[in-house]
Amino acid sequence: MMHSSTASLIAPRISQLPPRAGLGLKAEHFKDVLESLPDVGFFEVHAENYMVAGGPFHHYLGLIRERYPLSIHGVGLSIGSDTPLNIEHLQRLQTLLARYRPRVFSEHLAWSSHGPHFLNDLLPLRYDLSTLQRVCAHIDQVQNTLQRQILLENPATYVEFDQTHFDEASFIHEVITRSGCGLLLDVNNVYVSCVNHDRDPLAYINALPLHAVGELHLAGFAEDIDQSGQRLLIDSHGAPVDQAVWALYQQVLECVGPVATLIERDNQLPVFSELLAQAELADCYLLTTRERT
Amino acid sequence: MRLQEAFSAAVLDSQQPCPRGLVSRNGHVESRFAVYRNNVQKGLINALAFSYPVVARLVGEYFFQEMARLFIKKSPPDSPIMSTYGVRFADFIGDFEPARSLPYLADTARLERLCVAAYHAADAWAVDPQVLARMLKVPESLGQLHLQLHPGVATLDSPYAVADLWAAHQNEELSQGLDLSLPQSTVVLRYGLSVEVFAVRPGYTAFIRHLQSGHALGPAAEHALHVDPYFDLSQALALLITHDAITDLSPAPEISP
Amino acid sequence: MNNKTTRTFSAAALALALGSALTVAALPAQAAGDMEKCFGVALKGQNDCAAGAGTTCAGTSKTDYQGDAWKLVPKGTCDKTASHTSSTGFGQLAAFTAKS
Repeated sequence: MMHSSTASLIAPRISQLPPRAGLGLKAEHFKDVLESLPDVGFFEVHAENYMVAGGPFHHYLGLIRERYPLSIHGVGLSIGSDTPLNIEHLQRLQTLLARYRPRVFSEHLAWSSHGPHFLNDLLPLRYDLSTLQRVCAHIDQVQNTLQRQILLENPATYVEFDQTHFDEASFIHEVITRSGCGLLLDVNNVYVSCVNHDRDPLAYINALPLHAVGELHLAGFAEDIDQSGQRLLIDSHGAPVDQAVWALYQQVLECVGPVATLIERDNQLPVFSELLAQAELADCYLLTTRERT
Repeated sequence: MRLQEAFSAAVLDSQQPCPRGLVSRNGHVESRFAVYRNNVQKGLINALAFSYPVVARLVGEYFFQEMARLFIKKSPPDSPIMSTYGVRFADFIGDFEPARSLPYLADTARLERLCVAAYHAADAWAVDPQVLARMLKVPESLGQLHLQLHPGVATLDSPYAVADLWAAHQNEELSQGLDLSLPQSTVVLRYGLSVEVFAVRPGYTAFIRHLQSGHALGPAAEHALHVDPYFDLSQALALLITHDAITDLSPAPEISP
Repeated sequence: MNNKTTRTFSAAALALALGSALTVAALPAQAAGDMEKCFGVALKGQNDCAAGAGTTCAGTSKTDYQGDAWKLVPKGTCDKTASHTSSTGFGQLAAFTAKS
């Protein structure tokens, strides 16, 4: 297969999603969604949950896809892996995207597989030159195979590495410039990482290639204290969006304008109406931004 | 050892040291690395607990967690699709010494795996009963008729009454009067969007397995009767027909034109 | 050769079985007595991009496996319910449903 940079394939502006609030679609809420058809801008699903042959997941996603814009979010591609990408998995992804034709496909700046083993978590990268080349080569491979631009999500991290050549924001800047992918800016991840590593979230955000932002994520975190007595935030997706993250979100909107925003909730799932209320709040901020711009 | 290799080994095995090269500007590196270790292990334990809720309930949370942790160390996932993780869990349980006192545990896990597989199995549509009825006009060809079954149809023969046990645990209240020492055969299938589990006579499972391995109706029925002299073919067919489990018919090659 | 292996189904017996199965299938709400147990066990997606539930630093150090699996004892909740009045008769067809 011919290997060429996909940067030329890609339209400069990125998101095909409406500038509205969307919700992560959970199987527990399939019926709520179809029965109430809430006014939500889009739904997002995790690709790997739909890599099954048939049954209820495809049944419900097919119905919801007919009624709402869809975003597919991968959690298993392991773009940062120091071993080759799993070709079989990439092909499954290609099949899934061909079936549901989502407006956006996104993945993570992280690794989760090593050799044959999948670790089911988004693990951190050392931001050096060899990682940069590897990540860009993998994104090229993904974008060439899928024949589309992907969005890459900034991670939530708990440790950093020695011998790094870039801080995270400049690393992301390089990746996006070189590979032509877009940015999924997870505002909760920014907050979590900046608290964990004692950095200024706004400075971090301003160092990102904000012109490439195609989607925003908001979620809740868990809070702990590490053994040195420092605050340690964990990206748990198990709580409502924190006030500090809402505040940061408003600052982000001022920089990037109204961009499709996902409310993520994976653990301690509340009733559907509670998630809707969070989406409505995000919609309010988006509307205010739209009026101002 | 490369960084990701060391990282990978250390998250899967709590006895391994924290990989070198990690730093924290303001915190304690090891307790921060522990977040990843815990995420990986807890995430995989949760995935197993989700696929094997009855096993988890039977042994209790602590036992399940530690059993799962050992399984994860031995057999980490080899695919990013978590709904398929733990295909070998039942075999592991069968060999797991501390679970010896619950000899039915491995088969309970096998049954739960069949339920997950049936839930996500490929879609297939039932043949119209009228097409089946038309076959009655040529009874001499029935013996050679091949019945294609829905991909979610599965069977389990156990020396323990695991279908009853499974059913009892679908309810908050455990039913009294389970005698697990009786052998039990089970058919699992997906009917519409629901997974259904049937405790059946052993002839049913023998019949279904023979159909699935490509035998025609006549030989499959004879095999079932051999396994179980009280095998009732009409009931077995009724179970399959009423649950949309027969998805295609094909006559044997010798009577095809 | 075993006698049992010589038992066969005649064309007429197969037709009778299929015919009666089709008759049963055509009945409305057939076998309601056998099929009334319904249990709502919904499966959810298992791939998440978040930390596993209960993921905290403190939790980790508390739950680390100490390498003494032989001391583990399963709770064995069903042992307490065992008796000899089984409902697992071979004659019946019992249905249990896990609904989506």
